[in-house]
Amino acid sequence: MSGSAGREPDIADLASESVIIFDTAGVIRYWNPASEALYGWPAMSMIGRGIDHLSDRTVDEGEHWRLLLQEGNWQGPASRRTPSGSQLAVDIRQYVRFNADGTARDVVEYGRRAQGTEQHGGGDWQIPDRLMAASWEMDVSGALPLIPALLEEKAAASPDPARLTTLGLEFVQAMRVLNVNERAARLVGGNRGPELMIGQSVAVFWPIEARAPLAELVIEAVTANDPGTTHRRQLPSDGILRDPVMSVWLPPDRETPDRVFVAANGTADDDRSYLYLRASEARYRKLVQFMPMAMWQVDASHMGKIYADIRGQGVEDFDAYLTEHPELIDFAGTSVSVTNVNRSAVQLFGAESPHDLMRHVDYLFTATPSALRKVMIGRFNGQQNWTDLIKVHTLDGRTLDVQFSVTYPKPPAELDVTIFGMIDVTERIQMETELRQLQADYTHAARISMLGELTTSIAHEVNQPLAAIVTNAETSLRWLSRDEPNVEKVKELTARIAASARRANEIVQRIRNMAAKREPERVALDLDEVAQEALLFVRDEVEVRAIRIATDFAKDLPKAMGDRVQLQQVLVNLLVNSAQALEVQNQGEREIRLATSRDADGRIVLTLRDTGPGMAEDHIDRVFEGFFTTKDNGMGIGLAICQSIIAEHGGSISASNHPDGGAQFRFAIPAHATDA
Amino acid sequence: MPRIPLVAVVDDDEAVRQALCDLLMVTGLACRTFESAPAFLGDAAARDCDCLITDVRMPGMSGIDLLERLRGDSSDLPAIVLTSVVDEHLRMRADALGALAWLPKPVTDDVLLGHLKSALEGGGLVWPDDPGT
Repeated sequence: MSGSAGREPDIADLASESVIIFDTAGVIRYWNPASEALYGWPAMSMIGRGIDHLSDRTVDEGEHWRLLLQEGNWQGPASRRTPSGSQLAVDIRQYVRFNADGTARDVVEYGRRAQGTEQHGGGDWQIPDRLMAASWEMDVSGALPLIPALLEEKAAASPDPARLTTLGLEFVQAMRVLNVNERAARLVGGNRGPELMIGQSVAVFWPIEARAPLAELVIEAVTANDPGTTHRRQLPSDGILRDPVMSVWLPPDRETPDRVFVAANGTADDDRSYLYLRASEARYRKLVQFMPMAMWQVDASHMGKIYADIRGQGVEDFDAYLTEHPELIDFAGTSVSVTNVNRSAVQLFGAESPHDLMRHVDYLFTATPSALRKVMIGRFNGQQNWTDLIKVHTLDGRTLDVQFSVTYPKPPAELDVTIFGMIDVTERIQMETELRQLQADYTHAARISMLGELTTSIAHEVNQPLAAIVTNAETSLRWLSRDEPNVEKVKELTARIAASARRANEIVQRIRNMAAKREPERVALDLDEVAQEALLFVRDEVEVRAIRIATDFAKDLPKAMGDRVQLQQVLVNLLVNSAQALEVQNQGEREIRLATSRDADGRIVLTLRDTGPGMAEDHIDRVFEGFFTTKDNGMGIGLAICQSIIAEHGGSISASNHPDGGAQFRFAIPAHATDA
Repeated sequence: MPRIPLVAVVDDDEAVRQALCDLLMVTGLACRTFESAPAFLGDAAARDCDCLITDVRMPGMSGIDLLERLRGDSSDLPAIVLTSVVDEHLRMRADALGALAWLPKPVTDDVLLGHLKSALEGGGLVWPDDPGT
């Protein structure tokens, strides 16, 4: 920071505009050549002098300086003394530069000769921007019809203060901003700037406590209809200005008083905190502005009051209330407005500028209308925040999936500001969908490939009954074509044909179930039965290799919860795996032992052990990895699929070498709830 | 009266064995069935067979291994392979071992009996007349 401070004056030497740097006490520290040209004072005579050397209005200047240091910047016309003693009209812009700790470091002033006398707005825009008044021009035409009711209530024998307050608030709500000066924008406009305040309801900006006095004063001025006369009132401090004085007057020459000027004078409340607030606020704004999360600042303050009323009516179930009063949701969508958005929001919504997004919030909920209702319910129920995955339509016609979050104002907060945040998760969701698809495809491919490995057995298995059927049918025909048909023999053959056909059908059914790509089912099933069916499937593989199957099924085993076909796949995989391992086993017994049991957690356990060579110790941890294989012709996906299927069942699978030799696989899955 | 030719059927599937046996018998041939290759090799009566019909994929010992054993024992028993295995390598081995035919399952009776007839007649045996006609 200090390095750049040294360079700036050098650059300013070349500036065509007057650049002056003051220290915080108003002593000139730098004076560029353009300043010499503008004011006539040479730099050497100015460095070290106070600002009072340039200005005759020393009293005003002192007050101005104090406010400048508080508020950080100022711009406007000024009068400066030249060496000849004459006054020079200049337009100046002053900026306070702050240290990291929030204290003022110095003041940079840019100045140029005033371009004309009619600088600040034409026509009726004649608010004297004297010493930092926050000035407003307001359109009151919409509020005028409310005046009779207000006056009537006031004139009543015993005015109802609550009704007066309500009418006052409605009055301010109905007034529109026509123009504001920089200071008003700075004090209450957030970082919207005057352009964005124009056209909005005055109530959006006016502090709640000061709305009723504003209404009263405006009504007083409008009713008196005396252009030129200023109506003044001292207001209590409102957290923004200390002991402000509010002035209201009418523009001249209007038949109906449809516009008023309002000025609020006062120093910023609590200058110390204001200073720190400024610094921290600037940091906060910068932070928000550049936050990677899209953010909306939303003013739903009027809804808070509506909710309080509804709660006052004894409503507790707001959800039910909204079902009866859907119009309230529409009302919120078309009355709650966005008061600020950050750069990410502009990007996310494909907007040209922040202004495109600063309107009523309903555009945020066109793709997921139910979300607005939930946002409202969250606030009604006093939640601090609410978040959900919703879809939004952007301005440039895209539909996005976003993680939408709402941070509600805390109840005794001075500022009634709700923050909406959105994080684009479209890609993530797309990726997840694709991943799921990929996983499904992978599982499917694995099934098919496993089927491929089993194709020979399948063809063999299906062809056996078919061969029997064909031969039996032809034999029947031969018996029938004899001179004396042997009906008994034909009956017998036909019964065999039917039996073989049923067998073929069962096999086809099993294969179809296995190959079918479908959503897994969760049903109560008997794991022993599943194991028996799986054994049927691999009977051929096992028999060809002369492998003995020993089963030890637990008695009264509770039902397991799972998908029959998937669990069969696991078992078939494990069985084929063991059968292949046993193939290389030339000595000793070739045996696969299947056992079922329950573990301590009540889960159903299946253990499969073979008498093969077992697994290499350093392979055991990797056997369930996809594409891990020690076989030349294996894909290495069988066990990976087993693991993913068992995991999907909420179970676990493990591999080990049995102490007595051979590999052992064990999986456990949850029991069916009612059997547990 | 000429001798009735005896055909051996080796297949691990009972339904297939039964069906083949019935077909051979209705044709007027005699038939013996074996549920595995070792069962065939271990049966003395098998030596009286005039022709062998064997499956390939069977537990314990395959039909090809059976043929190999027979040829190793200098048997020139005519053999027909009846299988659902599609394996060129195995088929070539069967050819080399002198199998007369490699027939895919399921097989029609005319095809099977046609091959059987030429196998038996090649061995000088008399094909029985159709008993019913």
